[in-house]
Amino acid sequence: MEDDDAVDDADLLRAHGAGDRHAFARLYDRYDRACFHLIRRLLGAAHADAAEDLHQETWIAVSRNGASFDPAKASFAAWLFTIARHKTFDHFRRQRVTVLATAPEDDAAMTPDPRPSPLEQVQSRQRAEEIVAAVEALPIEQRGVFVMFSDGELSLEEIAQVTGVAVETAKSRLRYARAKLRQSLAGERPTHV
Amino acid sequence: MSDHDAPDPIDKAYAQAEAMLDDEAARAARRARVLGAVASDVQAAPPVSAPPTRRLSWAAGGWLAAASVAGISVLVALQFTRAPVVRKPAAPAETHIAADQAPAPSPVTAPAVEASPPAPPAVPQPRKSPSADVAVAPPLAFPAAPSKAAAEPVAAPQAPDAGNVQALIVTGQAAPPPAMRRMESAQAPTAQTSAAAPLAVPRASLHAAAAAGRLTELTSLLAQGTPVDALDSNGETALMKAIQANQPAAAALLLRHGAGLYRTNRAGVSAREMATAMDDAELNRALGLQP
Repeated sequence: MEDDDAVDDADLLRAHGAGDRHAFARLYDRYDRACFHLIRRLLGAAHADAAEDLHQETWIAVSRNGASFDPAKASFAAWLFTIARHKTFDHFRRQRVTVLATAPEDDAAMTPDPRPSPLEQVQSRQRAEEIVAAVEALPIEQRGVFVMFSDGELSLEEIAQVTGVAVETAKSRLRYARAKLRQSLAGERPTHV
Repeated sequence: MSDHDAPDPIDKAYAQAEAMLDDEAARAARRARVLGAVASDVQAAPPVSAPPTRRLSWAAGGWLAAASVAGISVLVALQFTRAPVVRKPAAPAETHIAADQAPAPSPVTAPAVEASPPAPPAVPQPRKSPSADVAVAPPLAFPAAPSKAAAEPVAAPQAPDAGNVQALIVTGQAAPPPAMRRMESAQAPTAQTSAAAPLAVPRASLHAAAAAGRLTELTSLLAQGTPVDALDSNGETALMKAIQANQPAAAALLLRHGAGLYRTNRAGVSAREMATAMDDAELNRALGLQP
């Protein structure tokens, strides 16, 4: 809808703060998928049942803290994903799940795959589930970067901002994630430790 | 833009996979729930510009109270005996004003709403409840979802035949909460017997596919209705086989289809305990034991 695209995210958030109920719904509709996907993939299969709650908590936080959003510092998507990521890590802390700072990168993942990727088209639900399962098997930091980049359409600079790392680190995580996914989806077992 | 910023087929494939797996009905229910919760939250928390308006409301309340007292005096003087009716305006008047002003402008100057709780008792947020989710409508008039949200039947399961009912029930469950997991372990023998009846060949194939990490075959068998927690002669599930063979992707796939991590084999060892014994980081990640 052209009218919907014309209005800036920050303007919608301000309108919500001013009591415009429709503004928040429009903002939600723009980002709910990407936000939910990020939370869901970060949680992985074992914590999937917490995704709905964390998604809701994220949007309530957006509603409450809209006044603190500064579009000059970050895009709305980056701000939203920062909140969503924090909510997810808070959940892990509450559940006493061990969060590794950064999983060691294995050499196998560094090797570029020269073969053409069989992934140009996802033609079946089965294949889609395999891809998603492979993404969920990535180390959490690589997973977050990959999901934010490919599904959330954040730039590497924005991802670096969200995750609090240097752009080069974000870039490196994306590279590792892609390499591991290629291996995993090609049916190879990475030669990791 | 660097080469890493450039689109990659894997990025596109993942985005397509997410789009394909999206459940529009669930999304619509989620939308109603979230927007309803936000609306309740906005109502419960006072607007940020509340201080001046609150003073105003107190002033109005005071004026109304004075008017009420005057009215009561007049009525008492006239020996009119319906005092309770006259007394009513004082308290409700204030509540009414506060309620009307709750969603009112909270402009940019607003501090975080969380930090200003002098509000009346919070309206309970419609947190999700497992069964009533879809029926929950937002209390306020948020606009309807885009039309595509109404469409669904993407994930509509095929009509179950008698042998597959158990499979549909089992595969439909998400990863259970801890309490359920304990129960699951306790109830395992019953489920084992019911799942073991038909489908002998697919069951064996499921175990073999899991052990070999053949994802396509696994998903195909599960789609055909093979119970995800079907047991072999040792009372072991396909998930246990995947774990024993160190097949993280297969294990993750089975888990996504509702395989029980806390089911035990005949020796009383659970799939989780097997995973712990394997001590493999990738496997643990796939099982959600390590993010």
